[in-house]
Amino acid sequence: MITSIITEALGITYPIFQGGMAWISEAQLAAAVSNAGGLGIISAMNLDADYLRGQIKKCRELTDKPFGVNVMLMSPHVKDVARVCAEEKPAVVTTGAGLPTAYMKDWIQAGIKVIPVVPSTAVARLVERAGAFAVIAEGGESGGHVGDLSTMVLVPQVVDAVKIPVLAAGGIADGRGVAAAYMLGAVGVQCGTAFLCATECAAHDHYKQKVVAAKDIDTVVTGKRLNHAVRSLRSPFTRRYIDKEYDPATSGEELENLGIGALRKAAVEGDLEAGCFLAGQAAALVKCVQPASKIIEDMFVEAEALLKGAAAWVK
Amino acid sequence: MMTTFETIAKLIAETKDMDPSEVKPEMTFADLGLDSLDVAELVMNMEDELGVTIEISPELKTVQDVVALVEAQKK
Repeated sequence: MITSIITEALGITYPIFQGGMAWISEAQLAAAVSNAGGLGIISAMNLDADYLRGQIKKCRELTDKPFGVNVMLMSPHVKDVARVCAEEKPAVVTTGAGLPTAYMKDWIQAGIKVIPVVPSTAVARLVERAGAFAVIAEGGESGGHVGDLSTMVLVPQVVDAVKIPVLAAGGIADGRGVAAAYMLGAVGVQCGTAFLCATECAAHDHYKQKVVAAKDIDTVVTGKRLNHAVRSLRSPFTRRYIDKEYDPATSGEELENLGIGALRKAAVEGDLEAGCFLAGQAAALVKCVQPASKIIEDMFVEAEALLKGAAAWVK
Repeated sequence: MMTTFETIAKLIAETKDMDPSEVKPEMTFADLGLDSLDVAELVMNMEDELGVTIEISPELKTVQDVVALVEAQKK
């Protein structure tokens, strides 16, 4: 067993979170991950309070284990969604794409453990001071909204910068990644892309197949010009988008509009032509679609063997 | 000795690779091209340099707002 303050404090078996992915991290997937001993997370994405309330209710019907909610701070409904979290009190709230400090007080008062995703040491220090229970240091290998730093350099620096527990994310999809995260000073991991290919994940089959088929160099980052960089699998959509992004004649607004609805088209409709298939570089490490429980067990069997064997390197 | 504004202007300039003279009190974070990541970076640098505590809030918009906050704590 690989335990840590994360498993003990949250009452979970494995120190692994399933990342909050818009249109993908629905109640069904979150419940499956939590039932398998990890921490499942529902994505509030950019939908309204009623959607989140419905998802939390559904998740509670599917599991009696702890689970979390991911609040995307760029959502137009962020205030309402933040309030729903304080009222519904999921075990954990994770946040992404911004600074959550304005909402943290209410969540902490509600007894929720707040665990923001952080892309830099400064953000980690700020949320620690605001009462975060832990942080998820997410490197730019990850899918969706990404920062510039890679996991290998970000995690040890965040570990040094704060006293609270640190989870590692970005580029982790097997036991080697988990073991490496521990070596960098993390006490748990968050995986998104790996769980996208869980049997219980509601994402369209085309999406899962695209992840399974992905090779090492198959992801691209778009949207840097708009100051919100996003990593996804190469597709006809990303090719058109990149052409526009580097064309000075394209206005920022035009570029913004181009991206609207593209993720939904990928996740819900499986539209290979118009969809934007967000995924991390770890997509290339994901080899098949299997139940969440199998994903977690395989990862931790491998990580345990690696960590036990690590002493062999020291003579 | 630098004034609070000068120190803050210097830190902002360092964050964005600008000349400190380009930073004006009435400028907002958005005017300066600072996203939330830059603001976090800046706040931490200001705290380290000035020995104050700066809470990021929606009311904190311009360089002058930050100067006022820091001045109030120094008194």
